[in-house]
Amino acid sequence: MASLNDYLFVSGLLFAIGLAGVIVRKNIIVIFMCLELMLASASLTLVAFSRFHLLNGLPDYNGQVFVFFIITVAAAEVAVGLAIIVALYRARQTINVEELTSMRG
Amino acid sequence: MSIILILIPLLAAFAILAGLGKAKSIATIAATANLVLGLGTVFCWKASIWDLSWEVLSKPSIHLSLGFYDGMSLVMVILSVLVLFTAVMSGKCPEGREKLWFSSILFIGAGGLGAFLSTDLFFFYAFHELALIPTFLMIGILGSGDRKNAAWKITIYLALGSIILLAGLIWLVSASGSDTWLFDDLLASSISTDAQSGIAALLIVGFGVLISLFPFHSWAAPAYASAPAPVAMIHAGVLKKFGLYGLIRLYPIVSTGMQDWLVCLIVLLLCNILWVGFVTINQKRLDMILGNSSVMHMGYIFLAFAALIEAGSFEANPLAKPAAVVLMFAHGISIALLFMLTDTIRRKTGTVELAELGGLAKAAPRLAFLFGLAGMASIGLPGLANFSGEVLVFLSGFNNYDGGCLGYVQTATILALWGVVISAVYMLRAYRQTFQGPPVSNTSSEKVKDFGPFCQIPAGILAISLLIVGLYPNSLLQFLDEPEAASSETEQASK
Amino acid sequence: MESLPWLILGLPLLTAAAIHLGLKKKQPLSALVSTCSAAVTLVLTLVIISKGSDLAGSFTWASIPGFDGIEVGYELNRLSRGMMLVVTGVGFLVHVFSLAYMKDDSALARYFCGLSLFMFSMTGIVLATNFIMMFMFWELVGLSSYLLIGHWYQKDSAADASKKAFLTNRIGDFGFMIGILILWGITGSFTFNGISEFFAEGGHPKTVVPSVTMFSVAILLIFMGAMGKSAQAPLHVWLPDAMEGPTPVSALIHAATMVAAGVFMMVRFFSAVGMETLDSIWGPDIIAWIGAITSLLAALMATQQDDIKKILAYSTLSQLGYMVMAVGLLDPEAGMFHLFTHAWFKALLFLGSGAVIFACHHEQNIWKMGGLKKTMPVTFLTFGIGTIALCGVPGTAGFFSKEHILESAAHSGQWFLFGIAALVACLTTFYMFRLFFVAFLGKPRSENAEHAKEVGPLMSAPLIALALMAIFSGYQFLGGEISPLYKPFEFHPDAPAFIASILAVVIGLFLSWKLYGNTENDPLENRGIFNHFRNKFYIDEAYAKLVGYGQDTLAAFIHFFDELIINGFIVDGFSRAAGGFGRLFGRLQSGNLQGYAVLFGIGVLLVIYLTVFVS
Repeated sequence: MASLNDYLFVSGLLFAIGLAGVIVRKNIIVIFMCLELMLASASLTLVAFSRFHLLNGLPDYNGQVFVFFIITVAAAEVAVGLAIIVALYRARQTINVEELTSMRG
Repeated sequence: MSIILILIPLLAAFAILAGLGKAKSIATIAATANLVLGLGTVFCWKASIWDLSWEVLSKPSIHLSLGFYDGMSLVMVILSVLVLFTAVMSGKCPEGREKLWFSSILFIGAGGLGAFLSTDLFFFYAFHELALIPTFLMIGILGSGDRKNAAWKITIYLALGSIILLAGLIWLVSASGSDTWLFDDLLASSISTDAQSGIAALLIVGFGVLISLFPFHSWAAPAYASAPAPVAMIHAGVLKKFGLYGLIRLYPIVSTGMQDWLVCLIVLLLCNILWVGFVTINQKRLDMILGNSSVMHMGYIFLAFAALIEAGSFEANPLAKPAAVVLMFAHGISIALLFMLTDTIRRKTGTVELAELGGLAKAAPRLAFLFGLAGMASIGLPGLANFSGEVLVFLSGFNNYDGGCLGYVQTATILALWGVVISAVYMLRAYRQTFQGPPVSNTSSEKVKDFGPFCQIPAGILAISLLIVGLYPNSLLQFLDEPEAASSETEQASK
Repeated sequence: MESLPWLILGLPLLTAAAIHLGLKKKQPLSALVSTCSAAVTLVLTLVIISKGSDLAGSFTWASIPGFDGIEVGYELNRLSRGMMLVVTGVGFLVHVFSLAYMKDDSALARYFCGLSLFMFSMTGIVLATNFIMMFMFWELVGLSSYLLIGHWYQKDSAADASKKAFLTNRIGDFGFMIGILILWGITGSFTFNGISEFFAEGGHPKTVVPSVTMFSVAILLIFMGAMGKSAQAPLHVWLPDAMEGPTPVSALIHAATMVAAGVFMMVRFFSAVGMETLDSIWGPDIIAWIGAITSLLAALMATQQDDIKKILAYSTLSQLGYMVMAVGLLDPEAGMFHLFTHAWFKALLFLGSGAVIFACHHEQNIWKMGGLKKTMPVTFLTFGIGTIALCGVPGTAGFFSKEHILESAAHSGQWFLFGIAALVACLTTFYMFRLFFVAFLGKPRSENAEHAKEVGPLMSAPLIALALMAIFSGYQFLGGEISPLYKPFEFHPDAPAFIASILAVVIGLFLSWKLYGNTENDPLENRGIFNHFRNKFYIDEAYAKLVGYGQDTLAAFIHFFDELIINGFIVDGFSRAAGGFGRLFGRLQSGNLQGYAVLFGIGVLLVIYLTVFVS
C-alpha cells in the first residue's frame, strides 16, 4: 500500500514539472497545459489527504468534494483562457510568449 | 469673518473658471474688494469678530481656525492684499487664456492670505500648498523663456521642502503633547530639549527651502525670470515670506533647539547675502538680477532671526521680530514693484538683456522714476521702507553687544553690511545700463511710449506704501507693540 | 520758535515733492518756487542765529517696546547754527545763480527738484540729534548728489560719474554703520547727548569703555563714513568725476556743503565724546595723517590739470584734507573755521568758473581761455578775491583759518604734519595762480574766449556776495557772530605758522609767475614726475582693475561655481539620480510574462517561508 508521503511526493513532482513548464515553455497553450498540470497536482494532494485522514473509519470526504469544485473552476478557467488566447492570436498572429511584450515598462 | 478675505479670491477664481463673466473684471473687482477690506481691518483688527474656529477633524484635532494671531499676521495680510491687487492689474494676459491667468492669480493670492490668517498649524501649511499648483501651471504654460524646466524645478523643489517641513511639523506637534494643532495650544506647551534640536533642524531646512535659503536657492531666480509678472510678484513678494513667518511664529517652542544650529544658520545666511550677491553682480539680464536679489535680501531677515535665536527669547531682543516684520513687508512691496516694472520694460522693448537696453529714461521718464524709486528702495535708501527694516535688523544684530569682543551675530552683521554695497553695485549698474546713457535702437522714443495711467495706479499704490513706511515706520510698528501673545498665553496657562 | 527748524527742514522737501508731482511741465515756475523756498530757509536761519538760542525738539520715528527708539529731531547749538548759515546761504546764492546758468536747460524743473531735495537732506544732517538720523540724511544727500551729478544722464560720462559717486559713498557708509553699531554697544546710545553723557566724567578711556581697541576701531569706522562723504584718500576718486554735473551743483554740493558734512559729523562726534577722552587713544592720529596725505596728493594732482573744474575739485580735496587734519589734531574749532571760510570762497571760485564756462560757451579747458580780465571784469575781480582767499593771503578769511590749522599742528608738536600742511599751502598758491594767470591774463587763446562777455546780474550778484564773505568772514565781527565753533584767534606774527604761510604764498606765487605768467601752453607738460600728477597717480585705473578683478571676476567665478556645483551637481544631480533609479526599477517591468511568473513564484515562496518558518 502506498503511504501518504508517496502520494505527496508524486503530487509535488507534478507541481514542479508544471511550474517549470510555465516558466520555461514559450508556447502559450503549453503554458496553459502546465497550469492545468499544477491544478491537477493540487487535486491529487487533496484526494491523498482525504484518503489518509480518517473520520470514524471512513475517509474525510471533504477533500474529495473540494476536488470536484476545483475541476469545475478549472474547466471554466480553461474556457475563458482559451478564448483570450484565440483573441490574442487574432490580434497578434502569434502565441509565442517572447513576442508578446507590449506591457513592457 | 476673516474668512471673507480668503473667500473673495477663491469664489472669484471659481467664478472665472465657470465662465460667469469677463475674467479680468471679476478678478479686478475681487482684488479691489479684498484690498479695501484688508486695509479696513487695520482699524479694528483686534476685535474678535475676525476669529473663526471650526473643528474639521477630531483625531488629530485640526481646526479651520482663522484670525489675526498678532500684529505680524496683520502686517503680512496687508502686504498680501496690496500685492494681490497690484498683481491682478499687471502683466499682459496672452489672448484667450484669461481664465487660467486670472483664476491662478486668485488661487495663489488666496493661498497666501489663508496662510497668514491661519491660527492652526495644519491649515497654515495647507494654504501655502494651495498656491503651489497654480504657480506650476502659470509658469509652465504661460511663462516665458525656459519655462518648462523652471516650472518643474520650482514645483518639485518646493514640494520636497514641504515634505521635510511637514515631517518637522508633525514631529513638533507630537513631541509637544498638545491636543490640537492650534497655535495657542502649541505655543503654550513645551518640548524636551533633545527633540527640539531635531525639530529645529527639520524646520530650518523645510522652511529654508521655501525661503530660498542657501544652498536651497537655485530654484528662485530661473523661476522668477520665466514666470509671468503677477506670479513672480506674488511669489517673491508674499509666498516667500511664509517660511520666515512660520519660523518666527514657531520659535518660542523650539528656542533651545535652534541655538544648536545658530552657527550653521549664520554661515548660510551670510552665503545668501554675499555669495548670492556676487552671483547677482554677474547676471546680465534684468529679471535674473531681480530674482537673485530677492534671494539675497532674505539673508537680512534671517539675520534678524539669528539675532533672536542668540538672544533666546523675544524679550531678550525686542528688536528682532519687528525688524523682520518691517523688512518682510518692505521687501515684498519693493520686489513686487520691481517685477511689475521689469515686465513693463520687457513688453515695451522686447528684451530684458542689459546689453540690448539703454537710455530708456528719455522715452519713458515716469517708468524711469518708478523703477529708480523701487531700485533705491531695494538697496536700502532711507525714506523708503526697506531702510527702516534693514536698520532695525542691523540694530537687532548689535542689540546685546556690550562693547567688548564681537560675538557670532555681531560678526555676521558686519559681514552682512557689505551687502548694502553689493546691492548698490548691481542695482545701479542695472539702472545705468537700462535707463541712462544714450537711447539704443529698441528703446528710442519712436518705439516706446511711457507708462499709461492704468498701470500707474497699482504702481503708485506700491510706491506710496514704500514711502509711508519709509518716512514713518511707526505706522507699521504700532501694530507690533503688544507683548508677545505666546508669553502671555504661557502666563495664563501656568496660572 | 520751536517750529522754525521743522520749517527749515520740511519746506525744501515739500518744494521738491510739489515740483515733481505737479510742476514738471512749468519749468520757470519750478525754478522760481525752489529759489523762493531757499530764500525763506535762509531768512529763517538768520532769524534763528539772531536769537542765538539753543533749541532741541524731536519726534519718535521708530518706537519698539524694550528699545529706546529712534528719533528724528533737531538740535540747535552754535555748531549747527553756523553750519545752517553756510548751507542756506550758499544754497540760496547757488539757486539764484542757477536761474541764469541753467535757463536753457531742457530739464530745469528736475534740476531744481534735485536742488530742493539736497537742501532738505543737508539740513537734516546739520540738525541731526543722533547718528541714525544723521545716517539717514547722509544717504539722502548721497542720493541728491547722484541725481544732480547725473542731471545730464544721456551722456555716458555723467551717468558713470554719478554711479561712481554713489558707490564710493556707499563703501564709506558701510564703515559708518558698523562704527555706529559698535559705538552703540559701547556707550548704549546713538544720540549725541547720550554719548556725551556716557563720557561726561572724562578721564582715561580705559576706565570708561570695555575695550579701548574697539572704541578706536569704532572711531575709525565712523571716520570711514566721513572719508566717503568728504572724499578723503582712498575714497576720493568720485569727487573729480563729479564735475560732470552742472557747475552750480559742484559749487553747492561738492565744494561747500555735502563734502563738508564729513568734517561736520566728525566734529559733532568728537565734541560729544570730549577731547580729553580722545587725547589718549590712537584713533585720531590716523585721522590726521589721512587728512594730510589726501591734502598733499590732491595738491600735487591739481598742479597739472587743465580743466578748470577739475583743478577746483582737487583743490577742494586738498582743503578738505586740511579740515580733516585739524579734526585729527583734536582742534575742532580750527577745522570748522576753515570749513566755514572755505565754503564761501570755494563756492565763489566754482560759481566764478561757472560764469567763465558760461561765457566761453561751455569751454572748460583753461588753455583755451585767456584775456578774460578785459572782457569779464567783475568775474575777474571776484575770482581773484576767491583765489587769494584760498591761498591764504593775509587779510582774507582764508588766511585766518589756514593760520589756525597751521598753529594747531605746530602746537601739538606734530612737525611732520605741519611740514606737509605748509608744503600744501605752497602748492595751493602755485596751482591756483597757474589757473588764474592762464585763464584770465594774457591773450584769448580761442574763439570762445574772444567772444566772452560779462555775465548778467543774476550771476554776478552771488559772486559779489560771496566775495565779500570770502574776505570778511574771517574777522571777529562777522565770523565771531556766525561761524560755527568760533574761538577768538590771536594773531602771532612771529609764530612758525605765520612765517611758514607767508613763505608758502611768496614761493608759490613766484614759481607760478615764472612758469605761467605769460605762456601759451604748459611748460611742465610731459615732464617725468609731472606726468604722474597729470594722470592722478593712476589711482582711477588701479581702482578699475581692483573692481574688475576683485569684484567682477570673483562674481563670475562664484556664479560659475554656483551653476556647476549647486545647480549642476546637487540639484540636477538629485533629479538625475531620481531618473536613474526610476529607469533601474523600470527594468523589472519587462513585459515578459514568464519573468513576471518567476517573480510571482519567488514571492509566494518568500511568503510561505515567512509565515510558516519564521516567528
